[in-house]
Amino acid sequence: MSRRHELRTLLRGALRPPENDSAFLLDVHRRAVPRERMARYDDAYPVDLVIVGAGAGGGTLAQRLARRGWKVVVLESGPFWDPDEDWVSDEAGSHRLYWTEERIIGGSDPVELGKNNSGHGVGGSMVHYAGYCPRFHPSDFEVRTRDGVGEDWPISYEDLKPHYERLELELPVAGDYWPWGDPHRYPHTAHPIAGGADVARGGARKLGIEMRVGPVGITNGAFGNRPHCIYRGFCLQGCKVNAKASPLVTHIPDAIEHGAEIRADCMAMDIEVDESSGRVTGVHYMSDGRERFQRAEAVAVAGYSIETPRLLLNSISRRFPHGLANNNDQVGRCVMVQGAPQVAGRFPDEMRMYKAPPPEISSEQFYETDERRGFARGFSIQTVGPLPIEHAQHVLGHGHWGQALREYMRDYNHWYTLGILSELLPLPDNRVTVVPSVTDRNGIPVARMDYSQCENDRKNIAYAKQTLHNIFEAGGAQDVLVTDRYAHLVGGCRMGADPERSVVDADHRAWDVPNLFIADGSVMPTQGSANPALTIMALASRLAERLDRGRAGVSGARERRRRQLRPRPAPTRAGAG
Amino acid sequence: MAAEGYREAGHLPNLRPGGQPAAPEELPRQRNGVTPQMRGRYPDYNVLEEADHWDPVTRRVVFERVESVPPIRFFTAPEALTLGVFCDLVLAQDAEPKIPVLGMVDAKLFAGELDGFRYADLPDDRETWRRVAVGLDVAARQHGAPDFVNASEDVRERVVDAFAKGQLHGEVWDDLAPARAWKVVTRAMLSAFYSHPWAWNEIGFGGPAYPRGYARIGAGQRENWEGAEAFALDPVKDTQQRQVQGT
Repeated sequence: MSRRHELRTLLRGALRPPENDSAFLLDVHRRAVPRERMARYDDAYPVDLVIVGAGAGGGTLAQRLARRGWKVVVLESGPFWDPDEDWVSDEAGSHRLYWTEERIIGGSDPVELGKNNSGHGVGGSMVHYAGYCPRFHPSDFEVRTRDGVGEDWPISYEDLKPHYERLELELPVAGDYWPWGDPHRYPHTAHPIAGGADVARGGARKLGIEMRVGPVGITNGAFGNRPHCIYRGFCLQGCKVNAKASPLVTHIPDAIEHGAEIRADCMAMDIEVDESSGRVTGVHYMSDGRERFQRAEAVAVAGYSIETPRLLLNSISRRFPHGLANNNDQVGRCVMVQGAPQVAGRFPDEMRMYKAPPPEISSEQFYETDERRGFARGFSIQTVGPLPIEHAQHVLGHGHWGQALREYMRDYNHWYTLGILSELLPLPDNRVTVVPSVTDRNGIPVARMDYSQCENDRKNIAYAKQTLHNIFEAGGAQDVLVTDRYAHLVGGCRMGADPERSVVDADHRAWDVPNLFIADGSVMPTQGSANPALTIMALASRLAERLDRGRAGVSGARERRRRQLRPRPAPTRAGAG
Repeated sequence: MAAEGYREAGHLPNLRPGGQPAAPEELPRQRNGVTPQMRGRYPDYNVLEEADHWDPVTRRVVFERVESVPPIRFFTAPEALTLGVFCDLVLAQDAEPKIPVLGMVDAKLFAGELDGFRYADLPDDRETWRRVAVGLDVAARQHGAPDFVNASEDVRERVVDAFAKGQLHGEVWDDLAPARAWKVVTRAMLSAFYSHPWAWNEIGFGGPAYPRGYARIGAGQRENWEGAEAFALDPVKDTQQRQVQGT
């Protein structure tokens, strides 16, 4: 063990992340991000980069590049949240956190969207994710080679590793020593766990299944001006405490401090292409019912797996008659979700699973292929802690209604719930398209997502459900209820080495469009059985590094300034446009 | 069972013959605050008494739910009659006080507050609700009843059971996949019912928890303000000992 490693272990939780002051820029007395000093750019001013979407990808990318002197504008369709005023400690009252504009779902196994997986507003879906922040395993990047399924990534785990390490300090991530994938430690120590997690861990241990605490992007101890978690249990309703990590508190404050403008309530409509050069010139967007155009040297789309393909497919030009970057008919394909059945177990003691963050313990012991199981790839086991509405849907999903439903719900406090993340495979016909005949209130065609499982997917989910059932039985459960669902969107604009089978290259740059990048989870060729948030951030962090070093084919801000291609007026304080 | 309290699980439908719980009259009664039908597992727990500990924004949202019973504006009167009976059956609201579930659903549909997706083979949620109202009558008539509202209790239960299993056919159901329509309507109903603090009293849910948070998170632990479960004690003797009048 190196001295540096020993020192880090000694200083767990006390380390300040390098080059990100977000936690210290927040206010001690209110939760809202201070933005009195935020730069305002004029629409006509060609900023270095306009980013569409202020979530895990867009927020991280903006912070990194703003730090490097890039002039960045982020267009975000949703609001700039104020946790004190906009969020409530209430399940049904959190409806506005989700993407609730119309979308159509089809295929033989349609995926429910909205609160299940789709956010909007500054912070993106990480505002309402549970908080799990696992890394992908090295095997995830080469599943075609190792397992004969899915697709290899054009990059390896080693390419992301330094970014994982840096982000784990920035969020910060709390958890036990992690023995799976590439073994590593976490900067914050593991949180205490609630009774249900303790019982589940004991049941798993009897079966030889190891479950460990974490990894969660939730402060365990004060972190800058972000306080300690209060174990309130409403992580999925937006953290009013500022303890749970989302770009809103981990990257946006530092981005603003370094001159980025986060322009909220701005819905991107299409990306403009210069027909002669084939380069993109900026983004058309709606703001306050008025159409505007932000000029930019380069565009990065970070709208996630449905809105990113939708924006590209709705950006029609002579050069790209089937949608921007879609000349090979790849945009929207291979969109993925994880199989996420939940199994609830009933115990003699009250568990009161509404307490403590829903993400408590997890196991990645079943992550990789084990041929004895009869399918390729695997799954991870996590905890979910559903609140009453969610648990009622679970009970009803198992088939109970009427008096039986009410009786199960009266028993709510005796239950605890485990969830699965099954790695479902990328399939070209699982696809996001746009429906020209159905438009949103701005007149933009809405997205349709078709999803069907393959045989390997069904086997994986069935095996995983049985495993959870066994864990609860070993833990002494008196009754078990099972329900099926999905979690996490990724893919849809995947990165690859072959333009015929991908939308962007290893630098996230669209094939055929030299200054268009995709910086969100839609670039993932496979999804593993890890929650995607940390990997989306790590990809954006790596992209920022490559853009700034001029390796991704767009000259960095510093380089352009050195060449003095144009004067650099200071950002104006007045409203843009 | 009462002597054992609820450490045992023999009251749960899966563990009982016929898959149904005990008759409602055998359940513990609420003594403090309100629960739907005044049944409750936590007889002395009233979550609304904790409102001083909630942040003001959340308090406003929750009290609005209790204090304002939304009028029916989206559904027509006949639709509301049919769907009201349907909601009561699915949620077992067979007596007053009732959580006004249909009114809460109506308010959302009236405001166009949808959930961000619709199945390709279903119309928009608003239209799905209207067609379900028609479809309940269709299914009741197939059993010889004049319509759903005027069908016998037995017929109504068979219709809802078939709906829950996705086994309705004929007329409107040939264009409306029943299994998916069931998901759409129950999603809205459960969201309304279990967002109401009366239901939280019934199930012993802690409710809003900011800025107070939780400290006692272990198995079998509760905060000092959280309700204790009925009845390690016999309910009749306990009530007599506590000299509680009436039930």
